[in-house]
Amino acid sequence: MSLVKKYMMRTLNSVCANETVDQVIRIMYKIEASVLPIVDEDNRFLGTIYSENLLKNILPEQYGVIEMHKLLYEVNHAAQNLQEIKKRKIKEYMSPTTTAVQETDSMDNVAEIMLENEESRLYVVNHEEKLRGYISRADLLCYLLEMEEAEK
Amino acid sequence: MITTVTLNPAIDREFFVERDNINFNQYIYHEQNIKVTPGGRGLLSAINLKKLGYADVQNIGFVGGKQGLFFEKMVQEYGVTTNYIYTENEMRNNIFIIGKNPVTYTHYNDYTYRVEPNDIEVLLKRFKRGIVDSDLIMIAGSVPEGINFDIYQKLIKICHQEGKEVYLHASGESLNRALKEKPKVVAPYFRHINKILDIRTVRFEDYYRVGCKLQEEGAVHAIVPYHNKQLIFDKRKVYLLSPKNFRLRNWLGASEAYHAAFFDYVFRNGFDFVEANKYAGAAALSVAERKEIFLEGRAQIEESLARITIEEVEVDIDEFSEKVYDENA
Repeated sequence: MSLVKKYMMRTLNSVCANETVDQVIRIMYKIEASVLPIVDEDNRFLGTIYSENLLKNILPEQYGVIEMHKLLYEVNHAAQNLQEIKKRKIKEYMSPTTTAVQETDSMDNVAEIMLENEESRLYVVNHEEKLRGYISRADLLCYLLEMEEAEK
Repeated sequence: MITTVTLNPAIDREFFVERDNINFNQYIYHEQNIKVTPGGRGLLSAINLKKLGYADVQNIGFVGGKQGLFFEKMVQEYGVTTNYIYTENEMRNNIFIIGKNPVTYTHYNDYTYRVEPNDIEVLLKRFKRGIVDSDLIMIAGSVPEGINFDIYQKLIKICHQEGKEVYLHASGESLNRALKEKPKVVAPYFRHINKILDIRTVRFEDYYRVGCKLQEEGAVHAIVPYHNKQLIFDKRKVYLLSPKNFRLRNWLGASEAYHAAFFDYVFRNGFDFVEANKYAGAAALSVAERKEIFLEGRAQIEESLARITIEEVEVDIDEFSEKVYDENA
């Protein structure tokens, strides 16, 4: 049985709930991630911040349905909105903890959760709910590929 | 969990050529002649600890730019948990050109990496929450440009506030200032400058004075490299640790193996400073006699243990400098 620990990325790149929106955006940009885990002072996993959550809050219309002829206006408007919220705490925009997995969980379990919740990343925690890393969709696909090849 | 800190990591790029011809274009066609590895004292110790079987080893520090992503991926290959603060500036690349015939070794050491004040603030916050579950903490290596020399002092202060002890492997002014926080173990490195705490290290008594001064300035215990030996400064006594009947092949990695094995001993047996150093010395010896730069397991260390001797050093410096501990011994 393949376990999470074989495929996970062991990284503690994270932000705290009281960090500001602009700080989090800069971190997302630098590490090329559109999602980050939020932890408390003891590294306990609290939830997730998605770039989508931030975009939804600064775009005047619902994310994904911007009309082309209004694009420039919308972008300027979004930039203005971002200026207004950039010093707010990131906890206002986070998605509270839903599901996390442990290193010793099976990858089959991960597959089920990811496919059901449409999560792009599942965070990995230890028995104290402290962050240990994450599993991405690419990791899941890699696992499925290896599983298929092993069966052949 | 074991935490190691590397503030100034580098991507080490080694090129193996038949002959290192200056002013000539040279072509490398075989993959085995190029080796790209993640470098940094704390990180290499972390990798050794993983090789010794520790499940949870973390490396905290800065990495820079797009190369930082590549660096982090390389570190992940060793199973080390990464906790990196990404900076705008690209990180360092060290270049090594190793010629075979004649044997040459050219090293271009990149010291251009710079971090910004905001990065340091993020590091301090991340470090504080990163060490909550750490049983052992090692701070090692140089500091990048843009960081004040008191950075290690600040990190040790955080550790002490959290009730954690620190093993410091550092050099220069950042070491001098860190001593104020009284780290539990200090292992300076200074071969590149032959000078530490304003003491020029030439004769045996210079090295001896370095150890004494480290303790006067705040180190609880000190480990001072003395050629291929170590001077071990316990709370009240001083020892000389020496390898015997050895055949040196490769210094690279020996120091990091030493520090990792020291932690391994302490983790399993508690803090016995002298015995931990003996075990660490065996680890360094086993790496120095092999081509591989990392430890492969504890059996390798055990094999070398019998060839490490430790003897107490009496505090008669003059006698040692002239007779017993000649520098070329």
